[in-house]
Amino acid sequence: MSHMLKKWWAALAVLVVGIGVAGALHRTPVQAAGKDNGEFKVGMEAGYAPFNWTQSDSSNGAVKIQGSNEYANGYDVQIAKRIAKALGKKPVVVKTDWDGLPPALTSGKIDAIIAGMSPTPERRKTIDFTNTYYVSNMTMVVRKDGKYANATSLKDFKGAKITGQLSTSDYDAIDQIKGVIKEPAMNNFPAMRAAIESGTIDGYASEIPEGSSAEAANPNLKMIHFAKGQGFKTNPDESDLAIGVRKGYEYKAKINEVLAGISQKERTRIMNEAVANQPSTGNTGNWFVGLMQQYGGMLLRGTGMTILLAVVGTLVGFIIGLLVGIIRTIPRPRSMGKRGLLRFFDWLLAVYIEVFRGTPMIVQAAVLYYGSAQALHLSMDRTVAALVIVSINTGAYISEIIRGGITSVDNGQFEAANALGMTHFQMMRKVILPQAVRNSLPAVTNEFIVNIKDTSVLSVISVSELFFSGETIAGQNFQFFHTYLVISAIYLIMTFTISRAFRLIEKHMDGPKNYNVMNNQMQVETPHIGGTTTARKDAE
Amino acid sequence: MKDEMILQVQNLHKSFGDHEVLKDINLDVHKGEVMSIIGASGSGKSTLLRNINLLEQPTGGDILFHEKSILSDDFDVTLYRAKVGMVFQSFNLFNNLNVLQNVMVGQTTVLKRDAAAAKTHAMELLERVGMAPYVNAKPDQLSGGQQQRVAIARAEAMDPEVLLFDEPTSALDPEMVDEVLNTMSSLAHTGLTMIIVTHEMQFARDVSDVVCFMNDGVLAETGTPEQIFEHPQEQRTQEFLKRYLSRV
Repeated sequence: MSHMLKKWWAALAVLVVGIGVAGALHRTPVQAAGKDNGEFKVGMEAGYAPFNWTQSDSSNGAVKIQGSNEYANGYDVQIAKRIAKALGKKPVVVKTDWDGLPPALTSGKIDAIIAGMSPTPERRKTIDFTNTYYVSNMTMVVRKDGKYANATSLKDFKGAKITGQLSTSDYDAIDQIKGVIKEPAMNNFPAMRAAIESGTIDGYASEIPEGSSAEAANPNLKMIHFAKGQGFKTNPDESDLAIGVRKGYEYKAKINEVLAGISQKERTRIMNEAVANQPSTGNTGNWFVGLMQQYGGMLLRGTGMTILLAVVGTLVGFIIGLLVGIIRTIPRPRSMGKRGLLRFFDWLLAVYIEVFRGTPMIVQAAVLYYGSAQALHLSMDRTVAALVIVSINTGAYISEIIRGGITSVDNGQFEAANALGMTHFQMMRKVILPQAVRNSLPAVTNEFIVNIKDTSVLSVISVSELFFSGETIAGQNFQFFHTYLVISAIYLIMTFTISRAFRLIEKHMDGPKNYNVMNNQMQVETPHIGGTTTARKDAE
Repeated sequence: MKDEMILQVQNLHKSFGDHEVLKDINLDVHKGEVMSIIGASGSGKSTLLRNINLLEQPTGGDILFHEKSILSDDFDVTLYRAKVGMVFQSFNLFNNLNVLQNVMVGQTTVLKRDAAAAKTHAMELLERVGMAPYVNAKPDQLSGGQQQRVAIARAEAMDPEVLLFDEPTSALDPEMVDEVLNTMSSLAHTGLTMIIVTHEMQFARDVSDVVCFMNDGVLAETGTPEQIFEHPQEQRTQEFLKRYLSRV
C-alpha cells in the first residue's frame, strides 16, 4: 500500500471515530438535562415579536440563546425570567422552530414552551399547560394603502386572500369569515409580512400584540381595529396563551403561583415595554451594508455550519458509499456459512439504502434527535445529530452512485485483477474503485451541492445553519426579500465553487493527455500505485 | 520435455444453463510444456482456459495443480492464480494505471514485493518486450500490440509457473500480430509452461510441444505439431485444417 494512501485512510478513520466519540460523549440521560444543572430551558421561536425575538446583544434584559452568540428578548422572555427566578434556576432560551416545540418538550430538550402558544384541546393530548400568562385578542394585519385598510368587520374581508401561521388557532379562525379566500398556511410571521408587501395575500390573522408590533416595525402594514362584536369570535382555549410543560411536570403548580403574582396591569406594562423594545427595521443608508454590519457575523456562522454539515456529510457519506460498494460486490464465497452471512449483510445494506433514500431527511432528523431522546432517553448534541443524519443519508445515495460506478467498469478489469491473484479488497482498492470513483465523481458532486442546500431542513432540530440564520434575521429586521437575496447569493457562491473545484479534481484525476517516451531508465520515477493519489512526474 | 505433471484436467464439464460447452475434457500438462489449443470459434477453447484459471466455475470433473484439486474448499484460489498467469484477448490492462504501474501492481499487492524490487523486475520485463520507453503512458494511449506486450510483461512479472494465453492476437490489427507472436516465441524458449488458445496455425506449429484440436466441446485430437498438422487422424481435424489453411 502506498504511503499517501495509508495516510488518507488513517485520516478518514480518525474523523469517523472522532464523530462517533463526540456523539457518545453527549449521550447523557435526559432527566439530568432539566433538573440537576439548575437551568430552566425555555423553548421559543425567537422570531415572533413582541412575544419573542432574537437580538445580537443583551440589552433590555435579554437572555442568551443556547449554543449561539445571540440573545432572545420579548414578553415571553421576561415571563420566563420571572419564573426561573422563582424556581431558583438560570433561564436559558432554546431557539426552536414552531413545529419542533412540542417534540422538544416531550423529549426533554426543553422544560417549558413559552412562545405565545394557546392551550388547544389538540395540544393538551400530548402536553400539559399552566394557567394563562397572556390574554390575547385576534386581529388582522393588512397593507396600509390597500383595499382592506379601513375594514372594521369580518364581513369586510369577503373575497380577501387571507392566511395565518401553520398549526395555530389563528389559521383555523379564518373560517369565520364568510366568502374569504383561505390561502395555505405559512410557516412564520416574517414570511406573512413579506407576502402582504408583495401582494400575494391581502392580510393575515394574528394576535393584537403581534399586529401592533408589525405596524410599529413596518410602515407599510396596518393592524385592523374591529368594531365591537364584529371581529373574530374566540374561545378562551384558543385565545389565551399559556405555558406548555410536560405532563406531570413537578414545577407546574409553582409556575401557576408565579403567574398568579403578575397582575393584569403588570402584564400590560411588560407587553408595552416589549413592543417598544422590539428591533425595528431601522432602514437608513445602503440596505446591504446595514445588513452586513448588523448580521454579518450571524451569516458567517450560518455559512460555516452549512459548510461543515455538507463537507462532513459528503465525506463520511462517500466513505460509507465506498464500504457498501465493496461489500455488495463481494463474490459468492464457496462455503455455505459465509455465503449466508454475506447474504444477510447484503440484505441489511439494501434495507439501509431503501430506508434512508425513501424517507425525507427532515423526518430522519426529527426521529433521530427527538425520537432518541423520547424513546431511549439519550440527549444528543444537535450538531452531532445533524452530522450523523446528513452523513447516513448521503451514504445511502452515494452507495448507489458507487455501485453504478463499479458496474460501469469493464468486466475485463475484474478478470485481469482476479487472474493476477488479487483478493476482492486488493482488486477494489487498486483497480476498480479508482475507476469507479472517477466515473461517479459528477454524481458525487451533485450530492455535495444537494447537501449544501438541503441541510436547510435541519432547522427542524434547531441547527443554526445558513437558512435558519436567514429566517432569524428576516424575523428580526423584517427585510424578508433582502435577507433571502443575500442568503441565495451565499448559497450560489458555495455551490458554484464546489462545482468548479470538482471539475478541476476530475481533470487532475484524468492526468495529462500526453506522455513522454523514456529513453533513459534513470528518468523513470518509481510510481506510487494507488489510484487517486498517484503522483505522476513527467521528466522534461 | 520433463515428465513432471503440473496441471491435470479430469472429466471436466461446463454448462451455461442448458447449454453444455465442455463435454468431458481430459488433459495433462507437463512442466515446461508449450501447448496450443486450436479449433473453430465456439468449440470451447476459451471456456476451457477460463475454467483452468477459475474465471469460470466448472460444473463437473476436476482440475489438479501439482496433484491437488483446485476445486476443494480449502484450496487457496488467489495464490493459485498468482502462479497461473493469464493474457487476455482484449488485453485488459488496468486503465487507471500507467504501463509501469500495471506491471508493478501485482508484484507489490499480491507478492508483497517492495516497490524498488518490483520496479527493477518490471523494467527488465518491459525492456524485453520493447515497451520500456512507454512506462509513463496510460493504456488508452497505446496501440493494441503495445498493450498486449505490456499485458504479457504484467503476467510474467508474477513469475508464474504456467501462463495461459486466450487468443492473444485475435483483437489485433494484422501488422501488430507479429510483434506479439515474437514476444511469445521468445517466452516459449525460456522453459515456461504455456497453454495457448490461438488461431495462428503457423505459430502453433512452430512453438508448440503439443497441439490439441478442440471440436464442439471435446478434445478431438492431441499430438505433436507434426502429427496434427501433417498427419491428422481424425476427419474433423482434417476438415478444420483444410478450411483454415486454404483461407490464409
